[in-house]
Amino acid sequence: MSTWELLASGFSVVFQPTMFLMVVLAIVLGTIFGALPGVSATMAVALGLTFTYTMEPIPAIVFLVAIYCSSITGGSITAILFKIPGVPSSAPTTFDGYPMAQKGQAGKALGVALFCSAVGGLFSALCMFLLSRPLTNAALAFGPSDLFAVTFMGLSILTCLDSDHVLTTIISGLLGLLLACIGQDKMYAVQRLTFGSRQLLAGVEMIPVLIGLFAVTEVLKQTNKKDFLNPEDGIGGGKVNTKMPNLKEMWSLKWVMLRCSIVGTIVGILPGAGATIASFLCYTMENKISRHPERFGTGIIEGVAASETANNAATGGAMVPLLSLGIPGGNAAAVMMSALVLKGVQLGPLLLVNQPTYLSATFASMIVANILMVIVAIGIAKIFAQILSVPYAYLGPIILMLALIGSYANQLSMADVQIMVIAGVVGLIVKACHFNSAAMVLGLVLGSMCEANFSRAYTMCRGSFATMFFRPIAGPIMIFCIIMLVTPILMPAIRKRKAAKKAA
Amino acid sequence: MFELIINAALFIFLGITFFTHVLEAPVPIKVQKNPYALQPDMWPKAIIILLLVCIAVNIYKIIKKNKGKENFTLKAFFATVPGFFKSKMFLGMLILVVVSFILEPLGFMVTCILLLFFYGLLLGERKILRLALCSVAIALVLYIVFSGLLSVSLPRGTVPFLRSFALFLESLI
Repeated sequence: MSTWELLASGFSVVFQPTMFLMVVLAIVLGTIFGALPGVSATMAVALGLTFTYTMEPIPAIVFLVAIYCSSITGGSITAILFKIPGVPSSAPTTFDGYPMAQKGQAGKALGVALFCSAVGGLFSALCMFLLSRPLTNAALAFGPSDLFAVTFMGLSILTCLDSDHVLTTIISGLLGLLLACIGQDKMYAVQRLTFGSRQLLAGVEMIPVLIGLFAVTEVLKQTNKKDFLNPEDGIGGGKVNTKMPNLKEMWSLKWVMLRCSIVGTIVGILPGAGATIASFLCYTMENKISRHPERFGTGIIEGVAASETANNAATGGAMVPLLSLGIPGGNAAAVMMSALVLKGVQLGPLLLVNQPTYLSATFASMIVANILMVIVAIGIAKIFAQILSVPYAYLGPIILMLALIGSYANQLSMADVQIMVIAGVVGLIVKACHFNSAAMVLGLVLGSMCEANFSRAYTMCRGSFATMFFRPIAGPIMIFCIIMLVTPILMPAIRKRKAAKKAA
Repeated sequence: MFELIINAALFIFLGITFFTHVLEAPVPIKVQKNPYALQPDMWPKAIIILLLVCIAVNIYKIIKKNKGKENFTLKAFFATVPGFFKSKMFLGMLILVVVSFILEPLGFMVTCILLLFFYGLLLGERKILRLALCSVAIALVLYIVFSGLLSVSLPRGTVPFLRSFALFLESLI
């Protein structure tokens, strides 16, 4: 299929009347979910899963991608208006967005945030479209040991997820891998770790666990708080100055947008490093590059542009490894991956070869979502001052009900609802013990793939680890993985030694 | 102390699991005799060994970090337990556990109304009438959206009159 044919097929999927309406619904939902504090982009995608159960796989991914992109953008609305980042990746937006709003430039800040989000999103969608196929073609030459190495690479970023708690993050990842072993083993159908439970024979369902860990835990955590949504003083009463930035101001941001789009996309491609890292990294980078770094944090459009371009650029980046290699680039991509697996889609390099429409439809969805969300988000921003006045006593239970529906509708199973509740409580313990939910999810998602590839490679190489890993692809990847795993463990010791030397 | 207890419990649980539950069914003889096949228990056992090592190191680190601290005693930990059982978070967990068990017999509508109402109360809403009306309205909207528009089969309940009510609602949608 030529590139043009591929593009046409993608847009034909998205512009089918029903699908287009679903994309618009996804954008509205995504923007609202993203703008609600406490609802992360991952949680938004997890809640969006409920809507996809009756859909075919391609419309499902189109719908989820639209939710993903718009939720990242939605996060900027509350970050600017109320100094409450709707999603973690919008946290740097508060540094300059909220001071701008306090100066009466809320409209300008919102305009910059939405326009830059769209630019970042469109740029990364284009990169995804151009990069996924070459990466897929390269991946087709991979054998089981190479595929194991690639999957292991997805796991090796575990230690980078939380540099303050490396050991507990590794434990969390390993627990995720162990959870993935529960049920019948994929190669020989031998029953493992079920403790006699028939419900666990088919393994631990990913979706209730994801919903429990990301949505239920958050609501339970909020339950203990005294003040739920506490907007800073300065903006309220539902009145927002919606005067948009002019073209000259937007043009002045061209280099900021270009730099942050590139860096954001690259960060998005790296497994595990998502939109949050991208936005913080780009904000810091722009601060360092700027001729007036002292102005950052006082309410300037460059600060808002850096953060919002980068976090949306990471969305397209995160889809590259998912579509081309079948490994998620982040938590939200992991949720999308579980949705596709649920539909029986065989993820991996062959996906884009056999069904290139997945790539084109995802691309078309990102293009449409990134353009439409600007219009939708402006509308939502205007009414959001009122929406945020809805007490958490109503929002919290609604989130719980959506989580409950999402878990139940997955397989129409009460056991899944119970798993969701257990996962929600486990999520609290995980937080209290400084374990890492994201690492656990990564282990759970990649676990069976990792084991299956390792098992195949082991058999093909007749049990020789040397034959398995002394290969032109697997070898360098494994070395890279080991460096990735070991560096964050060794770094504190090296820093300590350097500090001791300096002191001496 | 809570962190230490959880880590210790995990360590013991994984230790027992290693010896008792990794394999719960016999491995096919063909696989057993194949020297080049990765036996089904190898991967989980390797993970458990790594976990045991990491948890042991973590336990050591927790003890080293907190040694000598006043609140790092079992007595201090147990003193906080009654507080937890009185907390809103625990009540929230309790509501969720109850909901997960009543969903099947009572059906979606009643469970949804109960969850929205009681969790709303827990989160501090004191206008009972408004909360009750909103709970019913939100439950209806969710039912119409998911059951009617998205064709998601929501539980109708096993209690006869509640099931009849759910079927009646579905016929209206």
